[in-house]
Amino acid sequence: MAKAKKLLMMTFCLVMVASLVLTGCGSKKEATGGSTEGTAEKPVELIWYTIGTPQKDVDKVMAKVSEYTKEKIGVTVKMKMYDWGEYNEKMQVIANSGEPYDIAFTASWAFDYVTNAKKGAFLALDELMATKGQDITKNVHPSFLEGAKIDGKTYAIPVNKELPAQKVFRFNKKYVDKYGIDYKNVKTLQDLEPILAKVKAGEPGMYPLSADKQFKFGLNYDLISENLPIGVALTDTNEMKLVNVLEQPDTMKDLETMHEYYKKGYLKKDASTASSGDEMKTGNWLVDMPDTQPFADALWSQSMGYEVVSTPYTKPYVYNWSVMGAMHAVSANSAYPEKAVEFLNLLNSDKTLRNMINHGIEGEHFKRIDAETIEFLPAKTEGYDMPGFTLGNFFLLDKLPTDPKDKWEQFEKFNNSAENAPLLGFHFNADKVKSEVAALQNVKEEFYASLFTGTVDPKVYVPKAIEKFKAAGLDKVQAEMQLQLDEWKASKK
Amino acid sequence: MQTIMNSLKNLYRNRIFLLMVLPGALWFLFFSYLPMLGTVIAFKDYRIHRDGFFAGLMQSEWVGFENFEYLFSTNDAFLITRNTILYNFVFIILGLVCSVAMAIILSEIVNKRLAKVYQTGMFLPHFLSWVIVSYFTFSFLSVDKGVMNQILAWFGAEPISWYSETKYWPYILTFMNIWKGVGYSSVVYLAAIVGIDKTYYEAAMIDGASKWQQIRHITLPSITPLITILTLLAIGRIFYADFGLFYQIPRNSGPLYPVTNVIDTYVYRGLKATGEITMSTAAGLYQSFIGFILVISSNWIVRKFNKDNALF
Repeated sequence: MAKAKKLLMMTFCLVMVASLVLTGCGSKKEATGGSTEGTAEKPVELIWYTIGTPQKDVDKVMAKVSEYTKEKIGVTVKMKMYDWGEYNEKMQVIANSGEPYDIAFTASWAFDYVTNAKKGAFLALDELMATKGQDITKNVHPSFLEGAKIDGKTYAIPVNKELPAQKVFRFNKKYVDKYGIDYKNVKTLQDLEPILAKVKAGEPGMYPLSADKQFKFGLNYDLISENLPIGVALTDTNEMKLVNVLEQPDTMKDLETMHEYYKKGYLKKDASTASSGDEMKTGNWLVDMPDTQPFADALWSQSMGYEVVSTPYTKPYVYNWSVMGAMHAVSANSAYPEKAVEFLNLLNSDKTLRNMINHGIEGEHFKRIDAETIEFLPAKTEGYDMPGFTLGNFFLLDKLPTDPKDKWEQFEKFNNSAENAPLLGFHFNADKVKSEVAALQNVKEEFYASLFTGTVDPKVYVPKAIEKFKAAGLDKVQAEMQLQLDEWKASKK
Repeated sequence: MQTIMNSLKNLYRNRIFLLMVLPGALWFLFFSYLPMLGTVIAFKDYRIHRDGFFAGLMQSEWVGFENFEYLFSTNDAFLITRNTILYNFVFIILGLVCSVAMAIILSEIVNKRLAKVYQTGMFLPHFLSWVIVSYFTFSFLSVDKGVMNQILAWFGAEPISWYSETKYWPYILTFMNIWKGVGYSSVVYLAAIVGIDKTYYEAAMIDGASKWQQIRHITLPSITPLITILTLLAIGRIFYADFGLFYQIPRNSGPLYPVTNVIDTYVYRGLKATGEITMSTAAGLYQSFIGFILVISSNWIVRKFNKDNALF
């Protein structure tokens, strides 16, 4: 017995020693952040995490990028990519465990910007932007910078791209031509009915309305969070009264329409559990409702391999989530925050750098045609097919031969045409109600997919969903949201 | 001094054995004991700190049991606890019966080559990930193209929308669990059966015992200790649901939640958007704590009946 006890003591001591050693290792790293480094002779390395399917030429391109940035601002860049599906979880772990990195991609839909900024994962950039990042303030649309602020502070630099979000009805041109569809006159979900009926009659094996479990039609509300049915009407810019979207008659009408469509066989039977649209590959669909951007039709047609056309569905609004579609944050424990901001500054102002990061190496990944136009080479698709919208300022990018000459001017026009959604700039702090929020997520997961795809009868299931939401504490969360919203409204005036 | 010398001598005498234990012990130390310090996160409002994880841990505020609240605060709390425990209870009992039966049947097959073929065939599902299995089941249960509905149509019956009817799922989930697990656990029992001294059977046969009597009076009693130990270990995990089974197989279909939502899926769905590690740690701690109590108490009950069969 005594021996067992001694062994236990020894094990315990070992654990303590081991943990001390580990902590020691962990804290030693900071000492390296000196101020004399960061010149062309002695560059510092910035670690940049970004989202997208890892590409084999990333290191090669970054070596080239580093050569350039070393001369300019004394940094080299190491880019680490995680695939779309795993980026969120990987970054949560990296941020929570305090692993060092400098720049990370963040958005409302991956490595959640607001939550992580509030948890302290990101550095507040305002002071550094004033000294090292003047070009950012100059080149990025002010609505972007305004929307990125949390309690008055900027924790990430938004990618300067299309600002508002607007849903369109997107049609497969093949069937538009075949059935002579007057798609330009479709304005509402209900307008689709005769078209869908006609195509379904002609193509009995096809499900003309393409939808998966993520599907949502256009709502007339600005939601506080994508995951909760609480928002204000888009027209309500004054009073800002939060309502339960599911209780509103206009939402109900659209849900009922979807259920009609589902019953008539316009949607595939397993829409509420389907994860991706195979029909996009085969072309066996007529219409869906994605978010648009200028020249989207051409872009979609190119990536799908067949022609599509679209017509506006919702009005363009600047939402919190559209502003936060893609951003770059600097880690709170970055060893070189100044250099990181300098780099982001360059990314938002330097055409050479921005195009290199987007397209790769000249002569290998792309061929230059003239000062503003380039052409992709096969190596680009094979080894450096990067999602441009995650990487930085659109307006510095070279155009492709197929792009219209006034591409960026059109983007500018689109950005300036949009109205701000009522909640733009308001970020809910869920700290006080996080138990309720976790419970509410479960209710949302239970009902959203089957309601929005019309799989279940909304007359039965909407009241059920509302009841469950309330049981899970929706009223408490809504009251807390309204409280914070009123405070925010008062502070804005 | 004397005692220290003695224990050093003792260490030296057993050095070979201790050396053999070392890798395993180190593994446990680093991957099971050291991380246990991290469970304090469950009682904190964790904030990321610029000096790294440990600084963040030290400087975060204590919040008591606040992070556990969401597990108990709603009507779902009862549902998920009930689902988790009942499913696992059925899995343990049925799994035990099926795998012991399979092990005995396999051991009685005279053609050993054939027995190996069956064994491998049953073992195979164990290696498949639930994601892959979920596509298998989908090909059976899909509403418009599934095998099951085509069979139903052939008999003239109405097709069933499997992924929105709750009543079939307790059976489907149980079947899938047994299908996937039985091969693996029957091999464990088979190994024990093969190890039984053949002379018992010879003696029984001379006394005129039938096959059934041999199984009842020799095979089963001989493997009872193993059965008890494996069951006790399974009871320790009764609060952990197999995430893949309950999330992938029903394709995360909302209408099925009343019969498929278990603790693990509830926690995942509740926290996947925010990634709140304090709350997921709290859930894990709660599960292990209940499991710990259950193992201790069932072990205590086993000891009451038969000391030799108990785990400790």
